[in-house]
Amino acid sequence: MWLWYDWRAAAVADANGSILDDEQWDGFHDQRTIVSRLECIAEGELTPEALVLLERFPEAKPRVHGELDLPDADWPLPDEDAQQAADEAAIAMATRGVAQAAGDPDRRLEHLMRASDELRSTYITMEARMVEWVGLFLPEARFGQDRSSLGKTIGEAESLEHLSEILEVSLPPVGPGKPEWKALKEWGQSVSVFRGQLDRLENGIRHLTLQHLPSLSALLGPLLAARLCVEAHGRMRLARLPAGTVQVLGAEKAFFHHLKTGAPPPKHGHIFMHPWISRSPRWVRGKISRTVAAKASIAAKIDAFEGEPWGEEEMRELEERVEAIRQAHPSPPSRRN
Amino acid sequence: MAKNNNRRRSTMLSWAVMKDGRALWTTNAVPRKAVYGESLRNFSGTEFRRWDPSRSKLGAGIMRTRRDPSWLLPKEGTTVLYLGAGHGTSISHLHDHLCGQGNELRGRLVAVDLAPRCLRELTHMAKSRPGLVPVLGDARKHAAWGVLLPRKVDWLFQDVAQAGQVDIFIGACKRFLNRDGTGLLSLKAASERWTGEGEAALFDKVEHQLTHSGFEVEERISLTGYEDNHVLFAVRKME
Repeated sequence: MWLWYDWRAAAVADANGSILDDEQWDGFHDQRTIVSRLECIAEGELTPEALVLLERFPEAKPRVHGELDLPDADWPLPDEDAQQAADEAAIAMATRGVAQAAGDPDRRLEHLMRASDELRSTYITMEARMVEWVGLFLPEARFGQDRSSLGKTIGEAESLEHLSEILEVSLPPVGPGKPEWKALKEWGQSVSVFRGQLDRLENGIRHLTLQHLPSLSALLGPLLAARLCVEAHGRMRLARLPAGTVQVLGAEKAFFHHLKTGAPPPKHGHIFMHPWISRSPRWVRGKISRTVAAKASIAAKIDAFEGEPWGEEEMRELEERVEAIRQAHPSPPSRRN
Repeated sequence: MAKNNNRRRSTMLSWAVMKDGRALWTTNAVPRKAVYGESLRNFSGTEFRRWDPSRSKLGAGIMRTRRDPSWLLPKEGTTVLYLGAGHGTSISHLHDHLCGQGNELRGRLVAVDLAPRCLRELTHMAKSRPGLVPVLGDARKHAAWGVLLPRKVDWLFQDVAQAGQVDIFIGACKRFLNRDGTGLLSLKAASERWTGEGEAALFDKVEHQLTHSGFEVEERISLTGYEDNHVLFAVRKME
């Protein structure tokens, strides 16, 4: 005996396909109820009609419409009006599903991350050009390491003479014409605007990542945590990756070169950005990055399955382990083997 | 004489689809509106939209088939299933053919795709094109949208470009395609596990698999030139 059901009806038929009983629902003018029924079926649950019939025929095997082992029978299929209502509900569901994609922090994080990468590369080229450009007119000027405010200074100077006064250098005999100076000035303004925009983008990333990946952020810092999440195509996928993959995420080129030619495998991918690794001596970086990646993998799992986030305690423990690794290998290994 | 030679030969493949030299056109179901920036043109009073075969595997199949191209199209006014809807390029032209203006032909086009990004365009399109039913879901999870197809369909198209495409296709045809119905499978070689035997061997294997699952492979259409490393399998369900 079979219990057939779809979103609006259910029926029981014997093995020969003759209908013994059916239940139909005709409240299909209410779109929200149809949507909840369609969702209920998608979850693999029974509709109210199917439950009623299952009570009457406990031995019937429930099957949703279309399943292959159902026998052919004259099932109470929806008529045209009902089908029209279901179609509209399906469109509403799709629209809602699309709207929900905006609530997906993985997608938001990806946009933030890519935007900050693009802006950073633009900023670096524009900033380098600005330094060269000003240096051409003011060869005596020395900008040193900190030139974060140079864009602002140029943008606010009224003329090259003014700028040379601010920078306390002498003016060369040849200067830019008026339109040329204006272009240079605006270039400086853009550089300083990009600088501010970049900071705000990174703040956005930090803000979102601290909510989305609290444990991983505590371990690696929010920016690195976000980078790993984006490279892994989402938090859930990151959580399902083995620690060895987390360790070399971002070093795909070296990794596949290793697989292809047998060259030494990469010791670290993006995780190298972490100061525990990049600030450690060369010969312990591989060991430390293995430890950190293993912990990062656990942290990602905690975040993805929404467990209790890690705090200071765990960080201190791990820091001690990293320190122990450094202590255990104070000098480079000998080259003989 | 010279003037006569310049006139291109156009043939109607269905009431709405026209083949005109090397281009395809479909009667626009939403007059004066282009869906994805394609050109619109009037042919003796009816507005047509240009169907770019290099952006649509169905369109490419129609251009490349060695048989009468109209057999790749479903019968107008029927219900069809389209798995892997993408951004809706093919879908919009199929809708032109299947439903017509304001769905006067009473066709239904159930279009399934997994990506919210793609569905964004489709749900927008569904507003002006009645008969189009976009579904945000996995092509493999039949239970989630199978109830939208009360009866089996006569025409099914699949273009999902993911591993296991053939199994997805066979599963969907078993459940949703009528006996004698037409199934079209667009196969991307790069989506399958590379066996090292080359593309031709891969396609042969797929053909073998389809034949053994109760399908007759009517034609294997290579889309080279429009879509490289793609093949369109046109099959008929035999059991």
